Amino acid sequence: MFEIENTLFTIVMFSYLAAMLLYFFYVAIKKEGLSKVAFGIQIFGFVLHTAAIICRGIGAGRLPLTNQYEFATSFAWGLCLLSLIFIFRYRFYVMGAFVSPVIFLLIGYAAMQSREVRDLMPALRSNWLGIHVSTAIIAYGAFGVAFVLGIIFLLRDKLKEKGFLDQHIPEKEKLDLIEYRSVALGILFLSFTIITGSIWAERAWGSYWSWDPKETWSLITWLIYAVYLHLRIRRGYQGKSAAIFAVAGFICVLFTYVGVNTLIPGLHSYG
Amino acid sequence: MDVLKKILKFISSMRFAIILLLVLAFACSIGSLIPQGNTYAWYYSNYSERTAAIILALHLDDAFHSWWFILITAFLCINLLACNITRFPSLVRRTKKYMSSLSEAPGDLNATFEGSPEEVFKKMGMKAPKESKDSSRRVLYSCKNVAGLWGAWFCHLGVLLLILGYALGQMTYKEYTVYGVPGDIKKIGDTSLVLSIDDFKVSLREDDTVEQYTADITVYDLEHSSEGQSAQISVNHPADLYGLRFYQNSTGWAAKISVEKGGEALQSSVVCAGDYLVFSDNPDLIVYFNAFYPDYVMIQGSGPATRSGSLNNPAYLYSVYYQGQILGMNVLMTDDVLTIDDYTVTFSEPQSYTLIQIKRDSFTFLAFIGGVVIMAGLFLAFYVQVCSLQAVEGEDGVWTFTGSCKKSNMVFRNKFKEVFNSDLKEKEKNV
Repeated sequence: MFEIENTLFTIVMFSYLAAMLLYFFYVAIKKEGLSKVAFGIQIFGFVLHTAAIICRGIGAGRLPLTNQYEFATSFAWGLCLLSLIFIFRYRFYVMGAFVSPVIFLLIGYAAMQSREVRDLMPALRSNWLGIHVSTAIIAYGAFGVAFVLGIIFLLRDKLKEKGFLDQHIPEKEKLDLIEYRSVALGILFLSFTIITGSIWAERAWGSYWSWDPKETWSLITWLIYAVYLHLRIRRGYQGKSAAIFAVAGFICVLFTYVGVNTLIPGLHSYG
Repeated sequence: MDVLKKILKFISSMRFAIILLLVLAFACSIGSLIPQGNTYAWYYSNYSERTAAIILALHLDDAFHSWWFILITAFLCINLLACNITRFPSLVRRTKKYMSSLSEAPGDLNATFEGSPEEVFKKMGMKAPKESKDSSRRVLYSCKNVAGLWGAWFCHLGVLLLILGYALGQMTYKEYTVYGVPGDIKKIGDTSLVLSIDDFKVSLREDDTVEQYTADITVYDLEHSSEGQSAQISVNHPADLYGLRFYQNSTGWAAKISVEKGGEALQSSVVCAGDYLVFSDNPDLIVYFNAFYPDYVMIQGSGPATRSGSLNNPAYLYSVYYQGQILGMNVLMTDDVLTIDDYTVTFSEPQSYTLIQIKRDSFTFLAFIGGVVIMAGLFLAFYVQVCSLQAVEGEDGVWTFTGSCKKSNMVFRNKFKEVFNSDLKEKEKNV
């Protein structure tokens, strides 16, 4: 099963790379058809990615959501899923050129991690694992989309008027709305992640909140997006300020995932 | 008075909320980056003297319990409370307005329509409209998802409940730890309860990794009943007995330490690694059981270690103290004998001990309710959008529609345009 997973994983990496390059060509040579091909390859990669994760789950005999490799590949999967939904929902193919490098970087990071399958320590043997981590994947994916939209928003003013990108990127008001929707989805799922994590922690460690670095940085991420939501409804701070916080929030997400695991030891050091 | 009003206004303002959220995020990041809860000496040995002095002076070594962190959180609570109190009357007014008023239906979208207005309400996904009774003209009005107005309010309430539950829990919780081996009966802190460890099992996989720790326990209330309450606890599966929650927290190694004096048995007891034995006839003399190595190996340059978790070559690291002064430290194998003057000490029967954590936090439920209310509030705020649609009949039988949707106005506007454009197209087709 792990051989199938490895083969699928390699094809997934090349699919995401191909999708990224095609999205770049689409923007560079301004040929509409390329966007659909890139989108199609991204869907192809996503389907195989799902199959790879399922294979690993079957091979490991558990949910593949516990170590750096498993979470990195799931994180990329979540971002890919959310980006596909947002690209399709808003017919916003240019977004693919911005989001595909992030997906590729995440899957590349996953490729650098150890793929060794280890049995779970007793604290991780819980039904809460699936709920807690899968909601985190959706939250992180949604924040990834918001991050990309925030960057596009900040670059929007620098585009040549009536140019290709100018015509293929939604107006600022709509961009802001799409970004808000992805943040809204993200913060809803992040809240659920934190709450389910707290319930699990209470059962496993006897304390629902221990100021563990992972917990603390999840709270920091939540606070940053809370600032985003408040700024967005304040007159004079919509748009640009909110977009800056959408970008800053995702940096916190990345630090919560990579930085906390590698730099600060804590109860979540295994994942 | 004006100054007081200004201060109150600022305290309940969104600007203050944003400042507090940012300050709190910054404070949390400081608390996570500086190692917490170490000794003063640790900070002085790991940081420069000046940095260590700043860390300790500002209580950055225990940031999350420091006065300034509590102050920020208290201000956040005041801000949330003030915001919710000041917004409550206007929310009630707006809810009532949406629910009942026809003339004040807010709307920035306008369109005219000939035909059955009920059809438009249906197409817009609105409920069957109410008709105005106090107007000479026919006015139809409908609104949906009024609960969406309350999303932010409930979210704030949830955060308040969560903080309150956590704070009350921190102030009132009781926590005890009991460790021992099967057969041990131990008193639980200052309660009238005793805990009997009936059994303890460590389930290992083939590769020696731990699958689960399981303890069978019985708790007796010495003051009220001789009947005990029994339960099996394992990691992730705590048990509630006598109002306390029992957690299988961790495990370690214990061993039987036997002391003889002049060839006669003096004392013998099971001691956990990390604990010590005081000589019964000489309290100044102590044997400290530092660590246990089930499959002992000495690694040059790094010291004693274990090759595996199996009892292949058990060894005991001990140290001996007399009147608080260390006399020596060494590793003892199972058959070895430690001799201290007339005394001989042996270590044997290595076994796993269990560490059971016992807690009572009467306010966990409040924090949990807070979490649920936050989720409900966020859902209402993001996905339950209050929308209203009003239709006024003109003298020529043409209906004028006005509509609005608070947060997703763009989506509502698109739908509005879609409904009226499709109607126009339909008419053009018929023509």
